[in-house]
Amino acid sequence: MATTTIETFRCMACGHEYQEDVERGEDKERGCPKCRSNSIRHLKKKAVAKG
Amino acid sequence: MTFAEVEEISGYVGNFTAKIRKKARFVDPTLCNACGECEKVCPVVKPDEFQTGLSSRKAIYIPFPQAVPCSYILKMDDCLGNNPIACGECAEVCEKKAINYDDNDEIVTREVGAITVAIGLDVYDPTEMDEYGYTRFNNVITSMEFERLICAGGPTGGHFVRPGDHQRPKRIGFIQCVGSRNPKIGRPWCSNICCMNTIKDTLLLADHYPDTENIVFYQDIRAFGKSFEDMFQRSKQAGTRYVRGIPGDAEEDPETGNLIVTVENTTTGKLERHELDMLVLSVGVEPPKDMDKISGLLTLSRTSDGFFMESHPKLKPVDAPTRGVFFAGFCEAPKDIKDSVCQAGAASSRSGALLNAGEIQIEAITSRVDEVKCTKCGVCAPVCPYGAIIWKKGETAAVIEAACAGCGACGATCRFDAITMRHFTDVQINAQIHANLAERPEDKVFAFACNWCSYAGGDMAGISRFQYPASNRVVRTMCSARVSEEMVLEAFRCGAPVVLVSGCHYADCHYIDANRQTVKRVQKLWDKLERARVRPERLQLEWISAAEGQKFAAVMRRLEELRKTVTAEEIAHAREALKPKPKKKKAPKQEPVAAAAAT
Repeated sequence: MATTTIETFRCMACGHEYQEDVERGEDKERGCPKCRSNSIRHLKKKAVAKG
Repeated sequence: MTFAEVEEISGYVGNFTAKIRKKARFVDPTLCNACGECEKVCPVVKPDEFQTGLSSRKAIYIPFPQAVPCSYILKMDDCLGNNPIACGECAEVCEKKAINYDDNDEIVTREVGAITVAIGLDVYDPTEMDEYGYTRFNNVITSMEFERLICAGGPTGGHFVRPGDHQRPKRIGFIQCVGSRNPKIGRPWCSNICCMNTIKDTLLLADHYPDTENIVFYQDIRAFGKSFEDMFQRSKQAGTRYVRGIPGDAEEDPETGNLIVTVENTTTGKLERHELDMLVLSVGVEPPKDMDKISGLLTLSRTSDGFFMESHPKLKPVDAPTRGVFFAGFCEAPKDIKDSVCQAGAASSRSGALLNAGEIQIEAITSRVDEVKCTKCGVCAPVCPYGAIIWKKGETAAVIEAACAGCGACGATCRFDAITMRHFTDVQINAQIHANLAERPEDKVFAFACNWCSYAGGDMAGISRFQYPASNRVVRTMCSARVSEEMVLEAFRCGAPVVLVSGCHYADCHYIDANRQTVKRVQKLWDKLERARVRPERLQLEWISAAEGQKFAAVMRRLEELRKTVTAEEIAHAREALKPKPKKKKAPKQEPVAAAAAT
């Protein structure tokens, strides 16, 4: 079964930030849901140090 | 070669090597005379896949009546066992001694010059659409099951009966577009064949059983082929009623087994209730399940709906993007028998022409590896969408020029300048960057555009007279994947306030999937710019097709607005911050002997 994770994206054209379910290994053209630009930056989760 | 599967394909146009697994039949086809004695004595009974499970077969059987060669095969998964032999009845009765329980799969290697992919289709399984009760009600069947039931070679010998009580149905409903044109279940495409298949079924029913009442529930009837409209009119004249509206669900009368459907007839605007003896789900078709495997074997790309993508939808509709590979039939797009036969003919002509020519002409735009500069890292090999780069650990990379299509993804990936893209070299592209940004770079929006789509989109904007600011300076590359990180950074170093990288839409990439490398590279660049405290928004990515002149103009207008927000300080900071760092000189290692002597 395909694994999905919720990933955060930011549109580099209008600044809109949104989350989307991403299937592992999916090959999909991304477009901003607000302005439809393709300048979509995938914001990677930052690692949190446990102490 | 039947009952065989392609395991591996290597090589390139004119020189493919295919490794084929010839599956074990356990019956020697040269000895078997299809007398059927083995089948009679076989005690195993399994659902017959060819008859869509409506009848049974034995473990030893002929898969379908027209099978070539016409000989039995023994399905070992169903057999009671050959190790130790638990039954052995078939071998005992076979006079020709054709059955061999010790048969094994055989691997065959063939050298071929061209390959035609004709792997067919799968039919949609409507079990997930529970609203029509396909798994709950006996008298709800699919169009494929209908086909077997009305066929003279079918399980009932052509006597059309309900599976529930084996009575002849008098009122039959057909629901169209089950598993087609439905984005909710991930199948937005039209399956192309279902409308005409249903029309043909209604004509068959009208011919065999004139007293049958047929109702077709549809959203559109797509009868666009030769004589298809005529068939549709004949079906209506034969008494078939066409109701424009798709029922939401179906219920069963437990006493009679009849199906009750309620539908809004969108032509009259009235709600209609129909009691039917049988409900036929006109199921759509989908790409076969082993598309992934074939796609991997031949490095083929697929459209968003999963079918194989052709080299060009108008000019090369039977060619795959990989040279020497052709398509025939459904795997490329849903099509009927006539279109499939046409495409198969075209594919065979294309491969014939290719093979008869003896040699092929290729574009001069190909990659070349500099063996001296190559560090043998192998990073270039996996980015090539065509598998045109040969690399083995510890060896320098080499390009098969006949397989290289000239996207330049490898050249942009190589960090050691070891790959030169003929006619689009780093030196040539950098010279264009420098020339375009030589004067007043702060007033310019710098764009990289791919040859096939984005650059053509710019042309379209021009010839369509779409207005956009004159500030843009466009550099053309064959593919957006040719644009390396260094090229983008060089544009910023030259003072560009805004840089755009643009290419084909995902489904349109002219180099299979090379533009996915562009996405990865731009993502990296955004991170890099942020680390250098350069506003990452100054780098933009857009997919613009050749027809999207309007989008090209809109993007340029938007980027001009963005350019106006970039200050002189920001440009100056970027020039400094993105300067290539000088490489650290390694201190020469002291020879251990010399070091010891010094002490």
